[in-house]
Amino acid sequence: MTLTRAFPPRFDALADLVAFTAAAFEQKGIDRSLLTVADFALEELFTNVVKYGHTDAAVHVELRAIPGGFEACLTADGVADFDVTRAPALDTHLPLEQRQPGGLGLQLTRQMVDSIEYDYQDTQRRSRVTFRKTLV
Amino acid sequence: MLKIEFGSQGIVVVEGRLDAAQAATAQAFLDGVSGSVVLDCSALEYLSSAGLGVLLKTQKRLKVASGGLRLTGVNRHVHDIFRYAGFDQIFDIAPAP
Repeated sequence: MTLTRAFPPRFDALADLVAFTAAAFEQKGIDRSLLTVADFALEELFTNVVKYGHTDAAVHVELRAIPGGFEACLTADGVADFDVTRAPALDTHLPLEQRQPGGLGLQLTRQMVDSIEYDYQDTQRRSRVTFRKTLV
Repeated sequence: MLKIEFGSQGIVVVEGRLDAAQAATAQAFLDGVSGSVVLDCSALEYLSSAGLGVLLKTQKRLKVASGGLRLTGVNRHVHDIFRYAGFDQIFDIAPAP
């Protein structure tokens, strides 16, 4: 069974999102060593909607247990088509003086999870990102 | 929640979660430090890309003035994030014992 909750697209909703994820892990018996990955990926995807989505619609987060780990899905309505799985990668080997803050969140998310998929429905301007992580 | 303050011997102690909701608080504090600064991360539970941005901005500013941030007590999660981001090459990091 999947646990679902809606969050307003605001930075101050992050604390509730973290609480929801921790409770879902507890309820579903998901290994807590995977919790930081879930928190990180959900925060990056959620804040991406907050910063660039230009929507007032609630963001829906679903979380369920899968064998050895979890699957999470984040759905946002009224947003532009932006495939987070194809966001440009930054060069993480640049020296300090050439580094600029920003742009790393989606890249690190892709590195941390086992799989990530993006879907977009034009009619509702709905983006849906699903990712999974299991213990290796 | 995030707590950031000066500890003993001028060390900056950060506790809790440095996420997008807390980044402005951390940045405001770190904008006030100068020179070579030790950041005690022993109680830093979680770091997101917003937190990376705060640390990068601070490191760039301090390095220009021949200072810098040294991070101590870094837990596994934070160290993994640093490694993925290549920040282990541009920060002096001491992991948690």
